[in-house]
Amino acid sequence: MRVTVKLFATFRDGRFKVEEKNLSEDSQVLDVLQLLNILPEEVAICLVNGRDVKEQHVLNDGDTIALFPPVGGG
Amino acid sequence: MTIEGRYLRNKKTLTDEDQQKLAKSCVAIVGCGGLGGYIAEELARIGVGRLVLIDGDRLEVSNLNRQIMATELNIGQWKVEAARDRLRSVNSEVKVESIKEWFKEEKGPEMFREVDLVFDALDSPATRVELERVCHRLKLPLVFASIAGWFGQIGVSLPGDFSVLRLFGHGERGVESTWGNPAFTPAVLASLSVAEGVKLLAGRMPALRRAWLQVDLLTMEFERFEINNT
Repeated sequence: MRVTVKLFATFRDGRFKVEEKNLSEDSQVLDVLQLLNILPEEVAICLVNGRDVKEQHVLNDGDTIALFPPVGGG
Repeated sequence: MTIEGRYLRNKKTLTDEDQQKLAKSCVAIVGCGGLGGYIAEELARIGVGRLVLIDGDRLEVSNLNRQIMATELNIGQWKVEAARDRLRSVNSEVKVESIKEWFKEEKGPEMFREVDLVFDALDSPATRVELERVCHRLKLPLVFASIAGWFGQIGVSLPGDFSVLRLFGHGERGVESTWGNPAFTPAVLASLSVAEGVKLLAGRMPALRRAWLQVDLLTMEFERFEINNT
């Protein structure tokens, strides 16, 4: 299946802004993170099709995943 | 000092009625660093009547790159006192209360006793979540903003929303620990926060309730995301 992965803020550094990825059926958000060399604890929020999900969330063909690192400074 | 014509250029963005509402308002700014300093500056200039500044830190040399209240002459001074001194020369009609303490959940009710609106300008994700909890309990609207490098996030959390918990509920530190904070990012995010805060004080609808604006000053993209309470 194909999913669209969107990265934000510092996650784009050395990676990309938006890319399509081919994944095997029943892949989870966790598999996308592994593919991108991002640790689950580095993610502040993950949206799939605009909804807030956990890293165990199972993906479907055509999903859009948006990943944000924690931006916490003041 | 009352100066005739001080708020002339607030028109007609703000009506006379709006201006009176601001003058009668009391606003707390939690964290008086990069974001909090600019927020305080703008609220004083626009004519908010009372400001409660909360920060337990003193100014240091590394603050000079971005904190509007920091100058070479006041290094070592309490941040909230440096802010009060500057604001006095900007708008002496504004009453400024300086609290030289760190915000803690249990101190919230005392700190926010007469407050109408709270700005989250903190730098610790865990404390941000505590602050949202306190604001909900006290039925206070909250404008939150955060920064790291070229990036920032800003939104509004009204009682019953859990925007801050959603965004800052995971992890102890943000990427600012490696990317730092340059001069322009706090200024932009503080201004966006004040724009939302002024709407709340004037009784208008904020634009970023149950949402946040993801700000990227590297690509100059501002993107809005919804926060779903599910």
